Amino acid sequence: MARFAPVALAIVAVGVLAALPLGRLMATALVGNAGLDFAPLIERLMRGSTQRAMFNTLDTAVMGAILALLIGTPFAFFVALTDVPFRRLQGFMLLLPLMIAPQVTALAYMQLLGPSSALLGTLGLAPAPGTPNPLLGRGGIILLYGIQHAPIVFITLRAGLTALPRDYFEAARAAGAGPWRVLATVTLPLMRPYFIAALALAFVSGVGNFGIPAFLGLPVNYLTLATLIYQQLASNGPTVLAQTAMLSLLIAAIAIVGIAIQSLAQKRESFAITRGAPLRLSLGGWRWPVAGIGLLLIGVMLVLPMLALLTTSLVPTYGVRLSFDTITLDNYVEVLARQASTIRAFTNSFYLSGLAALILALLAVPVALGLRGIPMRTRQALHGLLDLPYALPGIVLAIACILLFLRPLPLIGSLYNTPWIILVAYLMRFAALAVRPVDAALGQIPPQLGEAAAAAGAGGMRRLLTITLPLAAPAATAGALLVFMSAFNELTVSALLWSSRNETLGVILFSLDEAGLSAQASAVAVVTIAVVVMLLLALDRLAPRLPAGVLPWR
Amino acid sequence: MRAIITAGLMLATALTPAMAQEGRLVLYTSQPQTDAQQTADAFMEQYPDITVEWVRDGTTQIMARFRSELEAGTPQADVLLIADVVTMEGLKAEGLLLNYPEADVSAYPEGLHDEDGAYFSTKLITTGIVYNTAATMIPESWYDLTKPEAQGQIAMPSPLTSGAALIHTVTLTENLPEGWDFYTALAENGAQASGGNGGVLTAVSGGEKLYGMIVDYMPIREAANGAPVEFVFPTEGVSAVTEPAAILASSQNQENAKLFIDFLLSEEGQELAVSQGYIPARDGMALPEGYPDRSEINVLNYDAANALANEQANRDRFGEIFGQ
Repeated sequence: MARFAPVALAIVAVGVLAALPLGRLMATALVGNAGLDFAPLIERLMRGSTQRAMFNTLDTAVMGAILALLIGTPFAFFVALTDVPFRRLQGFMLLLPLMIAPQVTALAYMQLLGPSSALLGTLGLAPAPGTPNPLLGRGGIILLYGIQHAPIVFITLRAGLTALPRDYFEAARAAGAGPWRVLATVTLPLMRPYFIAALALAFVSGVGNFGIPAFLGLPVNYLTLATLIYQQLASNGPTVLAQTAMLSLLIAAIAIVGIAIQSLAQKRESFAITRGAPLRLSLGGWRWPVAGIGLLLIGVMLVLPMLALLTTSLVPTYGVRLSFDTITLDNYVEVLARQASTIRAFTNSFYLSGLAALILALLAVPVALGLRGIPMRTRQALHGLLDLPYALPGIVLAIACILLFLRPLPLIGSLYNTPWIILVAYLMRFAALAVRPVDAALGQIPPQLGEAAAAAGAGGMRRLLTITLPLAAPAATAGALLVFMSAFNELTVSALLWSSRNETLGVILFSLDEAGLSAQASAVAVVTIAVVVMLLLALDRLAPRLPAGVLPWR
Repeated sequence: MRAIITAGLMLATALTPAMAQEGRLVLYTSQPQTDAQQTADAFMEQYPDITVEWVRDGTTQIMARFRSELEAGTPQADVLLIADVVTMEGLKAEGLLLNYPEADVSAYPEGLHDEDGAYFSTKLITTGIVYNTAATMIPESWYDLTKPEAQGQIAMPSPLTSGAALIHTVTLTENLPEGWDFYTALAENGAQASGGNGGVLTAVSGGEKLYGMIVDYMPIREAANGAPVEFVFPTEGVSAVTEPAAILASSQNQENAKLFIDFLLSEEGQELAVSQGYIPARDGMALPEGYPDRSEINVLNYDAANALANEQANRDRFGEIFGQ
């Protein structure tokens, strides 16, 4: 009985969180008046615009994921394994792009490199008015995907690297291998599942990203599936729901391809490592140069656009140069004091993302455990299913939620027009972020530990509490943090699901930006970032009381 | 005794005509955040017992939301206040709007509202030309946008995503002798059509583009704040949307909805629009600061019913010209 409970829970969780919304979408997309009808889907597939968008989606998501891997990997290695100075600061700063909404990242970079760039202007380097922004189009989208998703790579890899015990390394060294050889022959193979998980997460994040291609692609008609769906919604005919449901099925298909490749690659992995003292390499004379390069990169990637955002928030309106005459806090006063909705949005976003993170953290261990009790093929399929709501653009998941929860349900009534529909959508969307790291952690607990405990007379519950949970807890906490940060900044799910008094930060940002009020939008963005940084600093202060490895930057 | 009183009260309530003056009202609107809040606040000040719950989003998103609700069979909104008449015509044709022919429109020019009272114009939002003050050529005419000086420098909202932009396109193609050839010339001059008006303002005030087609109030408001932009009413005339309001046939609070329409059309409601920087629809009211005299604003006509009938064709034609 106790063995089957987690399995049943896992199946129910995957069913409710992933199969339900996807099934509803499929029904809308494929069921016509005369029953199942594939003709509209095929017609849709044959259109040039659909095929172009599919190619662009694959192209940018793959290239972006590779770039994210290139950026995130060295940071993960140096921060997790070496004695490079400012380790914690680097790890901390590298997490920030993830906590900034993609739209804000795009806005910040556009402001950094455009003709009205206050920073470049001060240095006399701003392009002349009338110069198009260099970030528009394919290259800019890939670049920002790389930067936006590098933290996902960093967190995933770091979780694996800190689990690497010193023993393997020392054994290899004792056998005469140099450090680079050990890295290549011992560390990298051990890390492979984490690499693949990181790449897959970055890829599906890119497939489902709306904000970056909306800012950088739409103006030059470079469409991905997500922005194509947005355009379709905008054409707002009665067939629009079926059309968007079809396009979202295409996105789902691309995500499935990514996930399937990941499963194939991971098939042969079946090793387990024990927890030991973590590895700490000494860089010797390279300590400071490495730190310098790292900080410089972080500065370019993160600090410069943040400064651009900050300067924009301090001018009366977008396009005005920042100087002692023009500097003003009016935008902050407007959004923080005059618009009651902004404060409400902060509270709502905090509350909903916190609740989603907590629920998913509690669910992640039993669900991941339950999934491990299912035969390999089915398990991979269920994992893939769980990843899908994350891969779909938020706007599509939102439509699925509206279709699901608008009519009153037995016991709970109608969720529509309440904050709970947003919470449910968050749980669906971010479940993968919570379960993946826990699953990776569980995969590395050697079965011998449990067997030894069982031989010593420990019951199932006792083994769970004393072995599995402590070993999985850091991953669960890291997952919860990922969920919180992603939900706190998301724009597109709540864009359709919010109701009066239940607006989220994303909704406010979207509204301001849509109204052309970039300076006010920047002010909201700056405050958001400040709040998240303060929250993370508070967590950092609590670190000594938390289990080791919980905070990804320590 | 109590039962009789209760029954009497219920009867009285049932017989009292209209004018609920209490309860709630759900407004779906595409007005900017601040404006929507101000409108709801002003209405609630007059009717303290009615709670206005408003949902703001772009016209297209609001319509997507409304359509999803309709699909699920439980529409929430009582009143729609959105940018364009074409969408309203479509809703009316589908029988989704409630006619309110009793509304007092005596202070309004002929032909501004739907003749059956299905929707009512609340403002005039014109579309003209915005330019960055760094530009050397100061545009005066629509044709200036096809000059070599403007090559690759024009941002415009796309009729594929913006209702107001679709009406603007239809108006210009109907009124300029060149018709669609004008848009072909724009496309050949490297004009970039995408998104809504906010994006055009950002592009032009940020200097990434020097010229743009845009609704009047955005650059006029922001120029007053110091943004390096100017708005021009081109010599040939401007197009206009009227930000119509309508009661939905599915409304649960129709009496409150009628009060809300009355409020929007009243002098107070129109003064609010002026204070927000819009041209009021009502006759005999002063224009907000930054606008020329009303007699100098030449609004071009267009045929809304025709625009609705040819909506998809117009979109397709535009998409073809701009390669979208």
